Amino acid sequence: MSGGTVGTLLEVRDLHTTFSIPAGDVRAVRGVSFDLERGRTLGIVGESGSGKTVLARSIMRLNIGTNVTTTGTATFDGRDVLSLPHAAMQDLWGPEMAMVFQDPMTALNPLVRVGRQLTEHLRHHLGVSKAEADRTAVELLREVRIPEPEARLRAYPHELSGGMRQRVCIAIALACAPSLLFADEPTTALDVTVQHQILNLLGREQADRDMAMVLVTHDLGVVAGRTDETLVMYAGTVVEQAPTRALFADMRHPYSEALLRSIPRTNRPSHTRLAAITGRPPDLIAPPAGCAFSPRCPYAQDRCHEEAPPLAPSGGDASHAFACWTPVGSPEAAESFARNVADGLPSAVAVDLASGGAS
Amino acid sequence: MLRFVARRFASLLAVLLAVTALAFGAMNVLGDPLFNVVGFIASVDCDAVEAGLVEDVSGQTAGGRGDCEVIAEARREHHLDRALPVRYGYWLSDIVRGDFGTSFKNELPVSDVLRDKLPKSLLLMGVAQAIAVGVAVPWAVAAAYRAHRSFDRASTVGSFGLLAVPNFALGVILFYLFVVRWQVFDSRYDDTDLASRLRSMVLPGLTLGLPAAAVYQRLLRTDLLTTMQEDFVHMARAKGMSDRWIMFRHVLRPSLFSMVTVFGLSTAGMIGGSLVAEQIFTIPGIGRALVEAVIRDDFPIVLGGVVVVATGFVVVNFVVDLLYSLIDPRVRADD
Repeated sequence: MSGGTVGTLLEVRDLHTTFSIPAGDVRAVRGVSFDLERGRTLGIVGESGSGKTVLARSIMRLNIGTNVTTTGTATFDGRDVLSLPHAAMQDLWGPEMAMVFQDPMTALNPLVRVGRQLTEHLRHHLGVSKAEADRTAVELLREVRIPEPEARLRAYPHELSGGMRQRVCIAIALACAPSLLFADEPTTALDVTVQHQILNLLGREQADRDMAMVLVTHDLGVVAGRTDETLVMYAGTVVEQAPTRALFADMRHPYSEALLRSIPRTNRPSHTRLAAITGRPPDLIAPPAGCAFSPRCPYAQDRCHEEAPPLAPSGGDASHAFACWTPVGSPEAAESFARNVADGLPSAVAVDLASGGAS
Repeated sequence: MLRFVARRFASLLAVLLAVTALAFGAMNVLGDPLFNVVGFIASVDCDAVEAGLVEDVSGQTAGGRGDCEVIAEARREHHLDRALPVRYGYWLSDIVRGDFGTSFKNELPVSDVLRDKLPKSLLLMGVAQAIAVGVAVPWAVAAAYRAHRSFDRASTVGSFGLLAVPNFALGVILFYLFVVRWQVFDSRYDDTDLASRLRSMVLPGLTLGLPAAAVYQRLLRTDLLTTMQEDFVHMARAKGMSDRWIMFRHVLRPSLFSMVTVFGLSTAGMIGGSLVAEQIFTIPGIGRALVEAVIRDDFPIVLGGVVVVATGFVVVNFVVDLLYSLIDPRVRADD
């Protein structure tokens, strides 16, 4: 999946995004840093409210409203997009950065024909004639495997199925040949049968066009095999960051492990207890002092509740970083897990039950 | 689509039946139709005259045989001896054949009166609604574009101010400023040609149009702000389209529904307002004719006016329903 062109396309450093609401400041993203090479793919994984969508929208500068504050830097192709004037962003959106949204049912304007939604930015950015734009649009629709593309140009969005609409959205995002594509939960609103087709389509386009892609999802299964690198986010922070292969080979953060464990397995006997993550994500107006996951962590110790662990590589692999005092597989984790089960801590007991009460 | 039109037409008939029956009943029950036809001799007790209980004073004062013949003749001609629903039936069958009757006062056919007055009132409505929409759309767009900033805040105050001023007051203020003080417009209605007619409609059009513009602006601004939160607007931003393009090509059209609905409904309010505006600016329109007819108990004019006004209202709202399907292709798919 990796591309041929080298060099860093996107460099995000210490990005914070805060929404001011009457109840206080919601700190949705709290200090995220990562690099993305040209033509490569990054998966951002986390549950609802972990800040992954806000992160993507912050880099795209799509969080609108006077109550949003974003600090830090996001250097795209040498320019810090967070400090670019709006007019400069309008030149980046489309030919440089594009986004596929979560819900294709709402991402297309219901009152505008598919054709114009596909061509308006083509004509705006590339200055091509209507006829030429229409030809490109037909090409794009064919590329995203939409049958009878000529007829579809004249269709309204409500005349297409959900999967078709997402294909149209992908075609729209690809129209101006961006070098970076954000796909924000592109399959969450779709039928399971369609999800794979859409993910495969995105993967194929990414590889063919040698385009960098950020794939935001709540499903670890989606990033597996589809991304070069993965960020696991929890409560607005990165808790684990590694090449995807390395992450799945050796998951160190208890939250990553819990996410993986909560995917239902078809090879298990039916009625097997699903290892859901107990508790709720923390309040982002007043996040916990220590590790944000500690109240739900089966391996938590006293230290976890008091002191936030830094995101740092450990052992020999410098590319695999995680933020945990009691990483999965460490003796500290095993020790505190046994103690937590004995103390009847719900998070630990649930894991213990799901694994068949081994300890 | 055909079914839709047919259904609308049926409801138009139902509305007209209800409205005219109500108006007909009210006029006949609250007023005295006989008095309107024959005048003060209507009070003569003809049964008593017939029975010789009352002295025949024909030719001297009211209360004689001659008067009773006039009364009997009037009763026959206007079917006043029949029950109210039957009279309504007679009246309705005349209307259907295009015969609105003749004015009690000046013996003119009602249809001639309507033909003379209606175009002026229609022109006033048209000018008023054009002003209302023409002012409201740019105003709402400008306010929503920089929502919660100073212009938006100021226009909130301004629109509520406009709404709070009753139309007779607004009309008088405009009349004072533009006719009396600055003498920009003539005080009298000028019927020479279309240009002068339009010129005469500016002030009354503003009187009716500005408060409507304030209502439209409030509704449209709110709907624009709601639409601006939609995913497809974020999508259009993420495509790098300009703010102006997004506003006019993506936000405006889906936001028009409330305004269009109220446009239809406000027609009723404008008909009421036109009574006032036509009075202040001396426009010989249907509003003034109606006011005068009501004061003089001129049944045929009042009923004819009611039929025309009710029809107009229902037709405007029918057009509004058609507009929905013009705005939104999904509405077209439903019917």
